[in-house]
Amino acid sequence: MIPIYITGSGVVSAIGVGKEATLAALQAGQTGVRKLKYLDSCHDELPVGEVQLSNHEMNQLMGVADDLRHTRTALMGRLALREALKEARLERDDLKAIPFISATTVGGMDRREAYYAQEAECDDVHAEISTHHCGSSTEMIAEPFGEFASMATLSTACSSATNALITGANMLRCGMADIVVVGGSESLSKFHLNGFNALMILDHEQCRPFDRDRAGLNLGEGAAYLVLETEASVKRRGVKPQFVLSGYGNACDAFHQTASSPDGEGAYLAMQEALQLAGLKPEDIQYINAHGTGTPNNDESESHAIQRVFGEHLPPVSSTKSFTGHTTSASGSIEAVFCLLALQHQFLLPNLNWHEPMEDGIIPVMEQKPQGEIRHILSNAFGFGGNDSSIILSKL
Amino acid sequence: MKTVAEIEITTEGIRLNGRPVETSGVGADMLNEAYRHYVNDYPKFFKMDGLGKLGFLASELLLQQIDEERFVPREDRAVVLFNRSGSIEADRHYQSTISDADNFFPSPSVFVYTLPNIVTGEIAIRNKYLGETSFCVLDHEDEPKMQQVIEGAFQDGVTTSILTGWVDYSDHSHFSANIKLITNKNE
Amino acid sequence: MEDLVLELKNEIIEALNLEDVKPEDINDDDPLFGSGLGLDSIDALELIVLLERKYGIKLKDPNKGKEVFKSINVMAKFITENRTK
Repeated sequence: MIPIYITGSGVVSAIGVGKEATLAALQAGQTGVRKLKYLDSCHDELPVGEVQLSNHEMNQLMGVADDLRHTRTALMGRLALREALKEARLERDDLKAIPFISATTVGGMDRREAYYAQEAECDDVHAEISTHHCGSSTEMIAEPFGEFASMATLSTACSSATNALITGANMLRCGMADIVVVGGSESLSKFHLNGFNALMILDHEQCRPFDRDRAGLNLGEGAAYLVLETEASVKRRGVKPQFVLSGYGNACDAFHQTASSPDGEGAYLAMQEALQLAGLKPEDIQYINAHGTGTPNNDESESHAIQRVFGEHLPPVSSTKSFTGHTTSASGSIEAVFCLLALQHQFLLPNLNWHEPMEDGIIPVMEQKPQGEIRHILSNAFGFGGNDSSIILSKL
Repeated sequence: MKTVAEIEITTEGIRLNGRPVETSGVGADMLNEAYRHYVNDYPKFFKMDGLGKLGFLASELLLQQIDEERFVPREDRAVVLFNRSGSIEADRHYQSTISDADNFFPSPSVFVYTLPNIVTGEIAIRNKYLGETSFCVLDHEDEPKMQQVIEGAFQDGVTTSILTGWVDYSDHSHFSANIKLITNKNE
Repeated sequence: MEDLVLELKNEIIEALNLEDVKPEDINDDDPLFGSGLGLDSIDALELIVLLERKYGIKLKDPNKGKEVFKSINVMAKFITENRTK
C-alpha cells in the first residue's frame, strides 16, 4: 500500500481542548467522566464525558458571536479542525483541492430537541431547527476555514470516524486527491442519552472496561480530525510527517443490530484485514487501543476477537473510554489522536477503573511505561449494525 | 466495474433490471405487500423502520434474481449505501416516545433504528455478508461522489462486489431506492 | 386473569411488531424466548417498557426479565401481583 502520511491532527474531548491538555490528562490518569453539567437532561444520575465548555465558551474560543443555528457538534468540530489544519500548515486557499469527510450521527439534534415543542410554529427556514441535518454540522464545521473541494458526511454509528479515515485513505490510494481531512464530531443529546438508557447499557458509575463487574458504558462527546497526505504532496509542501496510517480494515459482524457476536467475528476480520494491509504480523503491534466500551457484551466479544488474532503475541491492551466516555461517532478519530500522542511521547494509554479480571477476558494495561519502543498501534471502533473497523497507526 | 443488476423502488412501484415488478398499494403498504408476496420468510422485517424495510426489500428482490449461492458467509461483498434523510423517519418515531413528560417511555426497539447504517447491518445479517459496510449522508443523489466512495471500497484487496446505491426514506409516502450490484470484473 | 392473558397477548403482538401473529397462535405456557416467536434481547427490553407503560411496574434489572417473561402465564401472574395501574 502507498504510504498514507498523517501531517496534522486536532482533538477536543472531556479530557481537554487540544493535544497539549489531552496529553497532560492522559499522562496524569485523570478521567473526564463526571456528573452531567451542560446537557439539559433530568438524568443527572448518569456519569458522562462532556467537553468542559459551554457553547458560548466554544464560540469565544473561535472568536465568533453566538448563533442559534450553531450545533454543539459543529462547535466542537471547529476547535478540533482548527488544530489539525494549523499543524498541517494548511491555509484557506489550500482547501480548494482537499476533500473533507466528517462523521456524525447526532448532528444538530441538540438544536432540534431544544425547539421540538415549538416545532409546529416553526417553518422550514426557521433558523434554530434548520441545522439539525448531519450534513449541516459538517458544513458548519468547515465554514470558518474556507471552501473544501468537496464535503461528505459519514454515518455508521460508533465506527463512523474510523470509517471516515478509511474512506479518505481510499481516496488517496485511488488518486482522487493528494490530501484529505477526515474525522468526526458528536455532541451529547437527550435523544441518544435516553436511547442508550432504554437499551440498558449505561453504567450509573464511571465505566470499567474489561472489568469482571463492568455494567455498561458512559456516553461522551468530542471531536477530532486528521490530515492525511500522499508522499508526493508531503514532498511538494515540504512538511515532515511523524506518523503513517499503515493499515485498516472494515468488516461486518452480521449478527445483530446492536449486540456483537460472542466470538467477535466482525472484529476479528477487521483486525486481520488491517494487519494484512499493513504487511504486519500480530507480534509487530506494541499496543492495542480497544473499543472497550465497558458493556458486558462488547468487552467479552472484543476480548475473544483480540485473543483470536493475537494468540500468544498479545500486546498491552486498554480502553481510553474510561477517560472520555464513549464518544460514539467521533470515537474513532478521537482515539486515533490519543494513539498518535502515545506514539509521539512513547507511553501506553492506561485503562482506568479496572479491578477484577473477566473470565477468559483481556487483562488491560494500567501503567504507562512500555516494555520497548512503541512503533505500531492498532485501534478498534465498532458500531451498531455490526460495523467493525480497525486501523494501524505507525511511527516513522 | 460492471453493474450486474439494478432495482428501483418508488412509492408508486418497483422496477427490476428495467422491468416493472407487480405490486399492490402505494407507499409503505406497497413495501409490506411486496415483502409478503416475494419474500415472506423473515418475520424480523416487520420490526424494521421504513429505511430498513426499503433497503431490505430492494436487496432481496435484486439478490433473488442473481445466480449465486445465498446465505453462506462471505467477506468479498460490501454494502455501501447513501441517502440525504439519514434515519429521519425512525428519529421522529423515537422522539415521539420521549416528547411528552407525562407519557415518557423511550422505546429501545425504535431507538435501534435511529442510525442510518442499521439498514446495511440488516442486509448483512440476512445474507451473512462479513465484508465492508458503510453509509454516507449526502446533500443529494450525487453520482460522482458516490462513484468515488464505491471505487475506494474496492481497494481493500478483498471486496469483489458491492451492493450499493441510494436509499432514502423520509416518511411512509416519501421514499426512493436505486440499488445496484456492482462487481470489479470487467468481462 | 383470562382477560389479562388476552390483553397481554395483544399488547405483546403490537409492542414487538409481531405482524402475522394472532393471540390464538401464542400458547399460554410456551416459553416466549427461544421458541417460535423468535424474540431477542431488544424485544426483552421492549417488554420491560411495556410493563411500566401499561401496568406501572418498573423493572430495573434486565436480568430479572428472564424470569418474568418465561411465559404468558408467568408474566400475567407477575403483573397481577405487582401492577400499580
